[in-house]
Amino acid sequence: MSRRTAAGAAVTVVLAAVWALAAYGLWRSSVPDLHLPRLDPRAYFSPEQLHDSARYSRGLRLLWVLATVAQLGALALFARFGVRWARESAAGRAGTGMLLGMLGFALVWAAQLPFAVLEVWWGRHNGLTTQSYLAVTLGNWLALGGTFVFLCFALAVVMGFAGPLGDWWWLPAAPCFIALALLFSFVTPYLLGGHRLDDPGLRAASVRLERIEGVQHVPIRVVEGMNEPNAVATGLGPSRRVFLWDTIVEPPFTNREVRVVIAHELGHLAHNHIWRQVGWYALFAFPGAFLVALGTRRRGGMRRPEAVPLSLLVLVALNLVALPLRNLITRHMEAEADWSALRATRDPVGARGLFETFVPTTLMQPDPPTWDYVLLENHPTIMQRLSMVQAYAASEAQSP
Amino acid sequence: MGRMNEHPIRLSVEDDLRRNRLTVFFRLILAIPHFIWAFIWGVAVFFAAIANWFATLVAGTPPASLHRFLSAYVRYLAHLNAYIWLVANPYPGFVGEEGEYPIDVTLPPPAVQERWKVLLRIFLMLPALFLSATLGGVGAIRAPYRGKGGRYGGGGGGALSAVCGILGWFAVLATGRMPKGLRDAGAYSVGYGAQVLAYVLLVTDRYPNSDPTAMLAGVERPPQHPVYLVGDAHDLRRSRVLVFFRLPLAIPHLVWLALWTVVAILVGIVNWFATLFAGTPPRSLHRFFAAYVRYTLHVYAFLFLAANPFPGFVGAAGTYPLDLVLPEPTRQNRWVTGFRIFLAVPAYLVNAALGGTLLIAAILTWFAALVTGSAPWGLRNLSAYALRYGAQFDAYVFLLTDRYPHASPLEGAEETQPTFDEPA
Repeated sequence: MSRRTAAGAAVTVVLAAVWALAAYGLWRSSVPDLHLPRLDPRAYFSPEQLHDSARYSRGLRLLWVLATVAQLGALALFARFGVRWARESAAGRAGTGMLLGMLGFALVWAAQLPFAVLEVWWGRHNGLTTQSYLAVTLGNWLALGGTFVFLCFALAVVMGFAGPLGDWWWLPAAPCFIALALLFSFVTPYLLGGHRLDDPGLRAASVRLERIEGVQHVPIRVVEGMNEPNAVATGLGPSRRVFLWDTIVEPPFTNREVRVVIAHELGHLAHNHIWRQVGWYALFAFPGAFLVALGTRRRGGMRRPEAVPLSLLVLVALNLVALPLRNLITRHMEAEADWSALRATRDPVGARGLFETFVPTTLMQPDPPTWDYVLLENHPTIMQRLSMVQAYAASEAQSP
Repeated sequence: MGRMNEHPIRLSVEDDLRRNRLTVFFRLILAIPHFIWAFIWGVAVFFAAIANWFATLVAGTPPASLHRFLSAYVRYLAHLNAYIWLVANPYPGFVGEEGEYPIDVTLPPPAVQERWKVLLRIFLMLPALFLSATLGGVGAIRAPYRGKGGRYGGGGGGALSAVCGILGWFAVLATGRMPKGLRDAGAYSVGYGAQVLAYVLLVTDRYPNSDPTAMLAGVERPPQHPVYLVGDAHDLRRSRVLVFFRLPLAIPHLVWLALWTVVAILVGIVNWFATLFAGTPPRSLHRFFAAYVRYTLHVYAFLFLAANPFPGFVGAAGTYPLDLVLPEPTRQNRWVTGFRIFLAVPAYLVNAALGGTLLIAAILTWFAALVTGSAPWGLRNLSAYALRYGAQFDAYVFLLTDRYPHASPLEGAEETQPTFDEPA
């Protein structure tokens, strides 16, 4: 082994150790070792509910598989033949790369459009949405513009660094992407809008929960015009907000259940999950960018616009490969937020009611198949959440 | 010779730009008898057009008597529009006589028409009507709609000829002459409107041609403006994929342009003071604004489908098929510099009117290019006219030149100018 190889191996080992140490730090959770029992869905849901949710979820899974195949197929074709669109550019090296990148995403949109429309049909068929097909099509088409802006920025960074640095562009580019993720996390709350909670009881409860969870002065906003019940916590520092979809603050959800939702979202903020998400992104940005650089070498590297179509395929394939790991991380954080909500509300009945109501309102399968769980579920399953509620109730009962 | 010259409906412009201040001042009031007469005649034309449609569908040729009646109406409205919008000076006759008015249209005799085109005329005429509505010539749409409070209003535009007419009104009262640019723009609107109405009324089955250069083929070209277009006008090919995704593809450019515009406005204030003080814009700022104005042209040419390729982000000269020649920094009149922002208001109005036309032309081009893979020649030239005026306006506002934008659809006459003739 030459000295140079040995030094390279040593650096790699050190970097891997640093990476593992950082990952360990981010993984740490306040959830105790609960030994969650495996519950029987039939004890919580009627046979009709289980049948309907299984049927609906099967349809969604099928559409996801087809859309993913279409996406990979479109990108593979684009990686092979997309270079010919370079002649439609008068924008120089970086601008041509941007055009090719945008066209790649545009073709993916076109390839996935039938499945997006089918998904709306499936949702309408099962009474979950009233979205019109035109709104979905046109909305997605216009949303491409927003995607393109970020894509152009990303490609400008990559190709800008690839010019002078060649295949080492990923070293300075990854921090830029991390900075962009930070910026995006910070500004997202300002883009969502919404209005304050109408219910004075919920407003008072949210102030109390903020105090308990140690995250004071977090505005709770309600976003109108949504389809499925949901909520998100987002923002960093002064931009921190909790957004409740209007569909979760109205029946069949009760105020008691909404309090659990608010506590869950405040739990995300209390445990710095947004920062940790950025942290995880940072951990994956360096190896991800390095792999893209490696994958595009045979097209001359990212300094050449011809490499852009292939880079999209590599990027999407990497994302797909990383999907189980990403879901594992988000499920871990969601479980911590659930536990935090239970401790803040001390209301396992409310939490159980919330999770049970999710099944008829979203047709979410309480106990999906393993491959679905690994690839598609970024939250614990309903049965896992109910199991945690049961564990919490048991621990409360045992405590003096 | 352009294809437009072969169009059976031709516009002739014998106007000498002189106007009588008194008749201009009272122009709309003087036209009231004509409005009444045009309405009465219009009712008769409505029924005659229906009869003509059936007769042409059956016989394949419009009956001579109906053709004569409808042709006279087309000509009469061209005269009336020219009078209202100050494109011509004399009071027009009431019967649409041929060769009796300075702004006239030559109409073809009855000819065989393809029956399917006759049958589908009501649909086929829609694109031309939309475009005509933004120009405001004969045939402009005035679709009634119920506004707030239950009041009815008119929509559809007519902005270009109206703006030119209103601005011309002030100019004529001051000078006794109609500015040539405004007259030419108005004449183009009148000519296109006449072609549209003739098409609607089955006087001809030739589709209206929106090419302004061909429409005003017999009109003397204005002197060359220091800001003018260059490039490959004959490159009509359009990539269908780029056409379909044109709007989202342009959004990164629009974001970048918006950021650049904020900087340009701030730097523009500095440039204004510097030019007012020194009499000549500083070379570095001039270069900055030249790139900005050129980049704006590239982006809009791409967005509105006047050109095909994706443009660069820096406004470099010679990189885009539709490009701009801009003058070197020269001494500018300090009075004109000092009051530039106020002086630019009339040009802004013309630019806004042409913006509406540009938008409709782009939408029509979008559909046409998706089907055929190329931009229609007439729409391309109309878009180039609107873009050229916009660039001249920007160059005037940002002190690249103190020459006022020229509203004529015709390019200035000099040997270095490109000619947007019919592609081979």
